[in-house]
Formats: sequence, structure tokens, C-alpha cells
Amino acid sequence: MAQVIFSTWGGDVVDNRNVSGEPKAVSYRLPVAFDGERPLRAFMGWDGIILFDKYVDVPAMTAEYMKRVQTLYCCGRCTPGKKGTKVLMDLFRKVLDRKASEADLDTVGDLAELLKNCKCTLCQSATVPVFDAVKHYRSDFLAYINSACGPNAEPAKYIHKITAPCMDKCPAHIDIPKYVEEIRNYQYGEALSTIRENMPLPAVCGRVCPHPCETACRRKNVDEAINIMVLKRTASDYERLHNLRPPMVPKARKNKTVAIVGAGPAGLAAAYYLALEGYQCTIYEALPEGFGGGMIAVGIPAYRMPRTILQRDIDIIQSMGVEIIYDCRVGKDISLPELKQKYNAVFLAPGAHRSKPMGVEGEDKGYKGFLSGGIDFLREAYMGRPTGMGKKVCVVGGGNTAIDCVRVALREGAEESILLYRRSRKEMPADVWEVDGADEEGVKFEFQVLPTRIIVDDKEQVTGVECVRMAMGEPDASGRRRPEPVAGSEFVVECDTVIPAIGQDPDLGFIPPDMGIDITKWNTVVTKYLPLKDAAGKDLKDGMGNMLSRSLITDCDGVFAGGDAEIGPLTVVACVGNAHRAALVIQRWLEEGKAYLSEQDIFDDLLTYLGVYDKNEKVAWLDSGKRAGQKEVHGRERASKGNYREVELGFSDSTAQTEADRCLRCYRMAMVAV
Amino acid sequence: MAHIESCEEKTATVTINGKQVTVPAGTTILDAAAELGIKIPTLCWLKKVSTTGACRVCVVEVEGVERPMTACNTPVKDGIKVTTSTPALEQIRRNTLELMLVNHPLDCPVCDAAGECDLQDNCYGLQVDKNKFGAELERLPIRYDWKLLESDPNRCILCEKCVKVCREIVGREAIEIVDRGDRTIIDTISREPLDCDFCGNCINACPTGTLISKPFKFRGRPWAFDVTPGVCAFCSSGCQIEYHAKNGRIDRVTSSDETYNHGNLCANGRFGYAAFNSPGRVTSPMMREGGSDQRKVTWDQALGSVATRLKEIGGSAVAGIGSPRVTNEENYLFQKLFRGALGSNNIDSEARLGYLPSQVLQWELLGYSGGTYDMNAIEKAGAIVVIGADLKGESAGFAYRVIQAVNKNDARLVLVNSRGTSLNKYANSFLQCRPGSEAWLVAGLNKAILAEGLEGKSAAVPGFDSLKSSLESLSFDKITALCGVSEAQLREAAGLVCNCGSTAVLYGFDVIRSADMKNAVTAAVNLALLTGATGVDGAGIYPLDEKNNTQGMLDMGICPEYLPGYHTYEHAAAKFGAAWNCTVPATPGKDLFQIIDAIESGQIRALYVMGSDPLHILPDRNRTLKALQKLELLVVQDIFLTDTARMAHIILPAATGAEKAGSFTSVDNRVQCFSAAVKPAGESRTDAEILMKLHALIAPVVAMTPMTFDELHHEITTLSGLYSESCDHDGCRMGRVKNRTEKAQFAPLAPVALPQLSRPFTLKIGSLLHHNGSMTTWSENNMLVAGEACLEISPEDAAALGVAAGDMLKVTSDSASITLKVRPSASQQRGDLFVPSHFRDPQINLLSGQKSFPLAVTLAKA
Repeated sequence: MAQVIFSTWGGDVVDNRNVSGEPKAVSYRLPVAFDGERPLRAFMGWDGIILFDKYVDVPAMTAEYMKRVQTLYCCGRCTPGKKGTKVLMDLFRKVLDRKASEADLDTVGDLAELLKNCKCTLCQSATVPVFDAVKHYRSDFLAYINSACGPNAEPAKYIHKITAPCMDKCPAHIDIPKYVEEIRNYQYGEALSTIRENMPLPAVCGRVCPHPCETACRRKNVDEAINIMVLKRTASDYERLHNLRPPMVPKARKNKTVAIVGAGPAGLAAAYYLALEGYQCTIYEALPEGFGGGMIAVGIPAYRMPRTILQRDIDIIQSMGVEIIYDCRVGKDISLPELKQKYNAVFLAPGAHRSKPMGVEGEDKGYKGFLSGGIDFLREAYMGRPTGMGKKVCVVGGGNTAIDCVRVALREGAEESILLYRRSRKEMPADVWEVDGADEEGVKFEFQVLPTRIIVDDKEQVTGVECVRMAMGEPDASGRRRPEPVAGSEFVVECDTVIPAIGQDPDLGFIPPDMGIDITKWNTVVTKYLPLKDAAGKDLKDGMGNMLSRSLITDCDGVFAGGDAEIGPLTVVACVGNAHRAALVIQRWLEEGKAYLSEQDIFDDLLTYLGVYDKNEKVAWLDSGKRAGQKEVHGRERASKGNYREVELGFSDSTAQTEADRCLRCYRMAMVAV
Repeated sequence: MAHIESCEEKTATVTINGKQVTVPAGTTILDAAAELGIKIPTLCWLKKVSTTGACRVCVVEVEGVERPMTACNTPVKDGIKVTTSTPALEQIRRNTLELMLVNHPLDCPVCDAAGECDLQDNCYGLQVDKNKFGAELERLPIRYDWKLLESDPNRCILCEKCVKVCREIVGREAIEIVDRGDRTIIDTISREPLDCDFCGNCINACPTGTLISKPFKFRGRPWAFDVTPGVCAFCSSGCQIEYHAKNGRIDRVTSSDETYNHGNLCANGRFGYAAFNSPGRVTSPMMREGGSDQRKVTWDQALGSVATRLKEIGGSAVAGIGSPRVTNEENYLFQKLFRGALGSNNIDSEARLGYLPSQVLQWELLGYSGGTYDMNAIEKAGAIVVIGADLKGESAGFAYRVIQAVNKNDARLVLVNSRGTSLNKYANSFLQCRPGSEAWLVAGLNKAILAEGLEGKSAAVPGFDSLKSSLESLSFDKITALCGVSEAQLREAAGLVCNCGSTAVLYGFDVIRSADMKNAVTAAVNLALLTGATGVDGAGIYPLDEKNNTQGMLDMGICPEYLPGYHTYEHAAAKFGAAWNCTVPATPGKDLFQIIDAIESGQIRALYVMGSDPLHILPDRNRTLKALQKLELLVVQDIFLTDTARMAHIILPAATGAEKAGSFTSVDNRVQCFSAAVKPAGESRTDAEILMKLHALIAPVVAMTPMTFDELHHEITTLSGLYSESCDHDGCRMGRVKNRTEKAQFAPLAPVALPQLSRPFTLKIGSLLHHNGSMTTWSENNMLVAGEACLEISPEDAAALGVAAGDMLKVTSDSASITLKVRPSASQQRGDLFVPSHFRDPQINLLSGQKSFPLAVTLAKA
């Protein structure tokens, strides 16, 4: 199977319909079977059609595609879209009813041309596969028009999915074009409701999200991406600044209960969606009250995520009936088997709070001034406890946590705050704006250095770090160049505090080995997945190397896992997206006794794998609207001792509208035949 | 949408059709083209709302951009070259219109929009006479079940103008785009019948016959009407309107987007005209002899009798009540009749109940009365404080300005009120005080500004220290205890209204009619000074009044203490006497309350009421009733048979705002002239005509007739000193002179203790947005959407009392009991009640006795 019969995907026509001999080899990032079982017979979308099965009824599929676009998704807000897709839908219906004439088929081309003037891309992009179908399968259309029997085909089931490049790239799949348009239309409340459908922590992800969506913004192909994240903040701030009550009303209480381990983004998100459905959720959080939020709280400093604003998002979730039991560590204060016995389902979202060792001489000696890890430092500082930090602080690492540490060190009163990173500034995994922020606050950087030894005095107090300079080595077998120490370049950075911040792992010690819950070698929880394979028979995997389509139930029935402990340490938005899915699966499991993924869930994964954004697409548009940046407090005073006031200040509403008006609203619909 | 925080270039130079123009950055191609006089066809573009880009008719070519761009919503870029018309573009426009016409009903013969339809005009203009596209016909149901409006979605081209006007201008969000694909229509979100402001601004915005006015349907083709520009005769916003008249009858009121109010009206402005056609109009003079009923008489009989009897009684035994409804000229003539012909300074009006004393106070503190600037200044405010006003109910034009400021200028909004209003959703802070505690609350805001150190330059204004020391003796604890608003809320609000560019302060009914008006108004004025609202960079202070010409009426000397132009007797009585060729009594006359006292004591024996209904308006209805019964002569000059008119010895039928020429002065001091759209109904006459005739009959020495308006204006201008001879407003001959002194001063605050409530509930009165005064209760249109006075009560109290919407409750005060229908409303706090004051029944002023509202009452199931 898996052989491509015909394709126009991406504008490249592959026609293996009537080839004698070897068909043209071509592959797409699609599984051979939609859900691991039902063969994928055809794919239809914004970039063309792909047929894997020659018995697909192309006219019927085309008619169905246009009908779904027109009746389910066409917003009606521009003339060509509203009327053009109606004319097309009726035209294809007429074809199938054998009431059309050949001349009608010519109108398809006229309309495809006219629909280029649509306001957005949904209807416009829908004409692409439709036009391709009529052009390349004209005889099949004529078979309907001219003969009684129609083309030689087998009926199919069609499954569709609406998407957009940004929406696809967002791990939580927020309907970004919709909320952006709502902000543009002064509908802040509606915008926030749209966000909340997939993102229950809007104030958080409006501030600290690394916004992968913006890397897939089609406006980038014109000028710069829409400031999607700050628009999300706008919607959330609007509700707060106008003292509006969140509109969510949970469904009537059901008598089924769910225990959730961890009040971090995954735990909170799962609780939010389960509570909306009426399930009684209890979250067990190891930290005391006032410090809910998991890594968002203790891992993200208050100058980026003000506590009161985070707490508001948590309070909203609690007001929906979610109970949070603080100061209760699962595995110590209550056991996991106990939870499993007490509740109908358990969701594990403990996060990844254990610092990774640095691998440097002396780190295990318990020196004074050598702190256990960045994440511990941030937590202690956040909770207002002694951090053990001195006056001259060295942080080792290049991620956001390392940056947070150097910036927090200043606010904790460090006279000097230095970041040591073994690669160059450009290669830092930390977000650029965070690095720039640290720069502005007076953090010193030492790039391309590797700490080799901790230097202490006779009282075992740290006095410095010995480092060696790094340079790019020769390409290895895979062609990648790795940094290598430059011989003789050793030097000492004087300091009284060293904070390793090179990553963290989940701490899964609370899971008893006899529960049947598998753990990977990266210390993450194993969950069940669909056997999706490509044409070559290889498993489809996500960007973290996990199986692509996971139902998030562990091998222990009734126990689910999500967040950093399931994905591996990633982002708030990834945890939220993952936990939202877990909530849906948990609900199915509670109601139907089966933990499975819906067709829409699977389609989400498929599209993410296929990729919706095309950075090479030529987008014709006038580049006359500049991207708006949010207001920000500038100057070193913002990082003075004890000053944790928010640094970034968001948009004014009118700026938000202007920014939202830049959105090209890149909706498109994909449909498969199975 | 020009506000961009990180905008580098300030202007852009672009070439359109070969012509160059430089425009501010952020300008759209459409606007840039308009600068050059190049017109690009549009259908969905509406200047006053955000752009939509729905119709796609305005496509233009931009050199280097492969697709056509829509001119209406594409900002220019420096250096671009735009072409607005090519064969390809014209083809796209024609094809787009062809698509628009797919299944568009061709019921133009019975469509209300025929003759004023943008779709017709565009198709005609682009010569769209054939259609190559077609689709299956599906007709969508027409909404016949809405009140006042009808919606035919089949005619809709989805331009979104109505939705945007409703959301961005009116702030109601009553209609939305619903459903998908070709079935996408404009409807209420719930699909229930429309329940909204009924301002009809959506009808005005609709380019087709989708949203139409039901009262206007089949009244005539648009071109069959005589259209006369006018000034709305309902609230104090002074909106510019157009009366559409046929056969001497007003059948429609519209407003153009080119007007001062951008075409935006309220339910009263758009639909209240039905009052003018009401069967309740009095259209012939009536007289009662002895104990008989009122009977029709001739004008000569009526006027002759009025003249004779007024003259007989004469001097200080006669009193007059002027009208905030009639024109400036008519009020001037009214007081001239009393002062000049009858020799009585006993003239007053319903403004005595609050607006007049509040403005005397404001004048003493700031040197002017009414609004500082014209109300458009509010749109540019960075912060707005609205104190004790339901803006839409009291003066909708102000509400629209506030919504503009909030929506387009990021203004922060602080509302001070004891009940929620329709602007609450925009409020950054809602300081919900206990009814009657407004003076305390605003004093608290004054104090919070000082406590936060936000007074800025205002510390140099005279009286600052005395204000400061007076506030020191008011503790936040006491303020909180009395108002129910915390210190933290007050401090937060103080932060919101200071340091934000410019602040506007608006104060309304609950301040002006407060039992402690003096401190409430002083606190509002102080707040304006503290926030810089009255300074050159400020956005002004604005008192509100429900009626169209209260400000003008006072300007014209309808009060016992001032001559026209606020001249005192000792200063100007002789001058006026000389001009009028008579002797003007040189001592102040009796005010409204003293007039009632004097009627009771027999000192005043004749009362002439013009365009006012004291029985309905004054507190203690029974007392007023007895007093009026005691009069030897009660003359009522009105357009309706009001409760007071029913008691009159002589009724003189007058004309509506559409039936006369003259000028009105809005509370923000805009003086606007207008001419008559129709003749007075039946035998009725304009108030000016009646007054001039009477004047001539009573004091023939100063011949009043025939006196032209120009002569009259000259006289008013010369004597009052209020106006410049040449007007600075378009279409008006009397531009009001800026009668401002440079003075501004703080005054100390000492709010009076609130009375101990003797009964569990507190009853307030006020306005609804669907009515204006009692006038619109004569309009079948307004009555259709708000037909009776309901008692608003918090849902919690309603539940506790076991009553639901529509049940009856007996309301008992110390003076009386009345029965009202219940309407639970989340706008009310527990323990608070609200009744609109428009309706003649029930007689709410029975409850008040000598007291003022808010009033302590008890509730019981009826």
C-alpha cells in the first residue's frame, strides 16, 4: 500500500496512475494507516491532494471537502468566501446528482481565481485541492456528468480537521486566529474563552510561553510574526483589569473522582478540564499553600510571572471545584497505591524538579557556596528562604533556568552575576529575549567555557571556578561539530557561589516498582501509543523522541501520566497540551472504560508530524504593519535587590488591536479518506 | 487604530494613481486616496468603526505585491505605488458583486432600502447586469418577532457594520454574526428576539434593507419625504438629526455620519418621535369655566382670558414655571413676559430640584456652568470618572463618548454609583456605594488622591490647604463604613484617574439630586481639579441633565435670582428694563419651592406652567395637588394633557421640537439652531408665538409682534452677553461666548451625616435608557420596549421575599404605599431598589413626602 498513486502536494504533480514499470518514488510525512489500523487512502488539504488508493472516488471526496468547508468552517465574513464556496459546494453536489454540465467544471477555475481575493485563507486554500481534483481527475467528474455509473471507486469514510500553522505548532493547539480576531474586534471576553478552550493558564502563557506558534506564523513570510503571546496576555489582563468574573460553569458534579499528583501546569490543566466536565479532582502538591503552580511558580521568577497573577489563574481553577491539598508529597505523606485505591483515576504530573549533576570536579564534596542546582536556587529564592548565595555568583548553563538564576541572583543582592556557558551566545537554548534581558540588567557572560574544577579555600568555601576555553572541533561522523577544550586555556573565574543549572529530571521515586508503571531511561513515565508507521515501517515520533500519538495511560490501568514527567522536561504550553489530552482520555476511560484517542486527537498529531507551516511559501501581502512589541521597564534598577516587579508590561488595548489586525488568519482544512 | 507603541516612522509618502501624498503612518490606502480626492468603491467600510475588509470591493493594486490588497484595511507603507482602477480590478469588483447577488432577493419594490441602498448603488455604478454564478436557493426566516426592528437576513451582505456599531459605539453587543457559510447571518447570539438599547444605530449603518425600522416600514418611499435637519429634543446631548416628514407628520428620524454625533442616536432620538404623533397631544386651546370640564375654545378666547386674568392678578401674585424642553428663545420670551409685562420675578423651573443649584455651585468654584468643553473632548481622555450617573439613561451621547474613549483611546474608567449600569463592563474600577453616600465616596476619592500623593500641580490651586485639612478630619474608616467602599479600592481608583494624560469627570442625577448636593458637587469639582480635568490639558468636567435644554433655559434667566446671562438684578435690572421699555422688579423672586409655599399661603394666586408637569416632577405629590387646586388661575402650555394640564383652567396647546424653529443648548454648552420640520399639529402653536401674542395683549407698549428671529437673537445677545453675534458653530446663529472666569478653587468638604434608615430597603429613582423624561411615555415606540415602571431589586432580595419577575410588591414609605411590578436585576445591591421616574403611573412622588430620594421603604407581597 503506501505507494503514492497521485499527488499535487506542494505543487509537485506526481502521477503514478498509468505508469508502466517503476512508479515514481515519493513519500510524505504521513502514516500508512490513519490510526495505526485503517489505511490512509487519500489526503486532501491546502497544498493539494495525495492519493494512496486508486479506488478513491475523487469527485465524491471533492464534493464532501467543499461541503464541509462551506457548512462547517466558512466564517461568512467575506463575499468571495461566503458565496464562492456555496457556489462550489452546490456545483459539486450537482455533479454527483448528475445534474451538472461540463461547462460547470470551468467555473471552478474562475472561482479559484476569484477566491484569491478572500479575506483569509480558509476558503481560498480550499480551492487548491478542489481545482487540482477537477484538473487532474476531470474524467472522473465527467463520468458522473455523462454516464450513469460514475467512476470505478469504493466508498470511503472522510475525517477532517481544521487547522492553521500557528494553531498546529502550538502544543496546546489553541485556536489562535480566532482569539486574535476576537481581540481585533474588541471581544476580549470571547477571546479569553477561546484561549481557555485549550489553555487554562492564559495569564501564564500570555507572559512566559516560548511561543512556538510565532515560529510558524505565516505573517513571517511577509515581514514579522504576529505577537501572539502578548495578545493572549491582553485577553487575560482585560478580564483581570476589569474585575470581570470568568464565565466558566462546570457541568453538574459527577460521582467519579480523580487524584492528580502535582499542582504544576499539567496537573492544573488536567484538573481544569476534568472539573469543567463535572469530575471531582483533588491535586496533591508537595509545596505549601501559596506556592502552587509547580515549575511556573518555583521555576519562573516573579519578575516574569508575578505571583498574584499566577495565583489568580490557580484560584479560578479552584473556584471550579478543584481541591488542592498542599504540603502533601505523594510517596511520603500519602502513597500512590493509596491514591489509586481512593480515586477512580490518578493522573501523575509531578514535573521535573531534580537538578542534573554538572560533572565537574568537586561538585559532590558539599563545599560551602556550591549550590545543589538552579532549580533549587530559584525555588528557595521564590519561597523567600535562604538560598546560600554569596556576593559573587557563577551560574553554569545556557537554558532559561540558567538565565533565570543569574537574573534572580541580582535581585537577591549579588554584586556580580556571571553566566558560564560552553557554547556561543547564539547557540543558547534560552530564549533570546531572556538573554537580552539578563544583559540589560548587568549580568556578565563567559561563552565557550567549560568549568573543570571548583576551587575552595581552607574552610571549604568556594572561591572560584576553574574553566577552560572551548572551540569548535572537527565535524564528527554525523557531521556535527562539537565544542572541544582548547589546551592551555585554563583560567579561574573568582566567585563565592556556583550554581549548576544544566537541566533537570523528573523525580519518580514515588512510583513503587510493583505497580507496573514503566519508566524510560530518561526517567520519564511510559504511556501507551498508537502504532503509527511511515512507508518504510519506522515508528513516527515527536520532537522529543517520544512515540507520536500517545493516549497517556500508563501500563497500570487507571493511572495516567503527563507533563514534564511524561514528555521529558519541556515547556508550560507542552505540558498543558499534553494534560488537556490526558483529561479527555481520562474522561473516556471513566465513562466508557476505554482509554483511547479520538480521531481529532490523532489528526492533531498527524498534522503536527506533517507540518502545516511552510517557511518557503511565498505570501503575497503588503508588509506595511510592523510587529508591535510590549512595553517594558528598562534600566538596571529593575533588577535591584528585592525588586521582583514585573519587567514586561503587555500591550495597551489599542496596540493589541493594531497588532491583531496584522493576522492573516491562516485557517485551512485537511481531510483524509480511510 | 493609529496607536502604535513602537512606531518609528511618523509619516509615509505614497503614490496613488500617479499622484503623491504624505500621510501619517498607519493611515489606510483608502484614507490616503481620499486625501487625493480619489474615491475607491466600498460597501463594508464605515468610518466610525474598525475596518472589516468583508466586501472585497475596495481592492487595489500595489506595485510589487502579487495579489490585490483591500484599500480599506491595508495601512500604507512609505514609497508604495498604488493603482485603484484597472480592467482586472474592475473585473474582480464586478465578479465580487455578482457573487454578492447570488440568491440576493430582488424584492427591491417592497424593500425599505430601495432608493437608499448601497448595494443598488454599487451594482449600478459597476454596471453589474448579469451573473454567471448560481447556487441552490435557500431562504432564511425573516425576524418579524423583534420589537421596533425587523431583520431580513436574505438581504444581508455581511458587511458587519451593524455588529460593529452595536459593539464599538453603543457597547451593547446585542447582535452578532452567527452560523457558518452561506447561512451566516446577523442575529442575536441566543437567537431569541432582540433585547437591546433599541437605539437603531444598526438600521442607520445597514447598507441594504436587512435591518429596518418597523414603525417606518411602508410609511413611504425614502424620496417621498421632506428632510429637515434638526436638533434632538430629548436628552441634553444635543444630537443632530434629520426629521423625515410627509403630509405634516414626522415618520422617521435619522442622523448622518457627518454630524457632530456621527449619526449615533439613542432609542429616544430615533424612535421617540412617535410622541409627536401621539393621540395624547392637545391640539386645541381648552378652558374650564367655574366647575365645568375643560372645553375647546378659540385661541382668541383662550389668550384673551389668560391675558386678562394674569393682568388682573398681576405682579408678585403671579408665578411662572419655565421649561427645559422649549427653545432658548421661548424661555427668553417667557421670562420677559413675566418680568417685563407682568412685573414678576417669580419664575423658576424643575432645574431647581438639582441642576440649577449644582451649577451655581460649580460656577462659584470654577467660573462656569455646564460642561467645560464640548463633549467630544471626552473621547480623548486617558481616564474618566463617572459619578452617580447612568449615562445611557441620562444622556446617551455622553455614554457613546465614554465608550469611544475606552475603546479607541485606552481610557481607564472609574464608575461611582450605587447601582450597576450598562457601562460597568468597561469599568476598571466600580466603586459601588450605598445610595445617598455619593458625597462621602467622592470625598474619599479626594482623600485617596492626596494620600497617594497624586495631586500634582493642583496643590497650587487656591483652597488646596483648606480641602486638605477638611479631609484630614474624615477618616477612611468612616468613609468606608458609610459608603461600603474600602480604602484600598479608593486608593486603587485614585491611581487609575491620575497621571494618565487627561481626565474627564462626569456627574449625574445621583450627585445633582443628592440630599447633600453641596458636598457631592464640591467633591466632584475638587476631584476634577485634583486630576487636572479642568486644566488646559484636561478632558473637562460635565454635569448631566436628562432634558434637552435645561442649560439653555437657565442661560435665558428662567430662575428667580438671575436675569438672562446670569445678571443680577442690582447690576442689570435697569438695563433690561430700559431695553424692554418697562420696569423690571429689582429684587429676586420666589423659587419653585417658595412658589408652592406662596400658593398655599395665598400670596400667589396665578401660576403659568410652560412645558412642565409639576405634579409629576415635584416631591410630595399630594401637597402639590392641593396647592394647584387652590390657584385662582392655572395656565398650562404644553403639548400633552399632563396631570398638571388636567387641572388647568386654561390649556394652551404648544408645539414639539420638530414643529418650531429656535435653538437648544446642550449641557456641554453647544448652542444649536434649527428650523421647523413640520407645522404645529392641529390648532397648536409654537410657544414663541403664544408668548409673543400674550405679551402683546398684556403690555401693548412693548410690541412683541411681529418680531423676527434675527431681531430676537440680537436682543438676547445684546442683553445677556452670553453669545457672540456671529456663531462659531455650523448652522447656528448664536455661538455661546466662553463665559468663563479664570478662577478655580478648591472648597473644603464636610459631608453631612446620612440619615438613619427607618425601613429596611432604600429606594432610588432615575432614568432608563429607553425613555427621556415623561415625554417618551407618549411614544408608542418607546412604550413598546419599556411600557411600565418596574421595581428593580437584587435577585437575592427577590428570592428572599419569594418574588419573581412580574410579581407585584407593595412599597411603603413613611408617607404612602404604591404597588409595583418586580424586576430582579443584578445591577442592584442587596437592600437597594430602583424605580424609573418617567412613568405617570405609579405616582412615585406620593412616596417621598417632603423627603428626597433615596428613600427608606418597606416591601410586602401585594
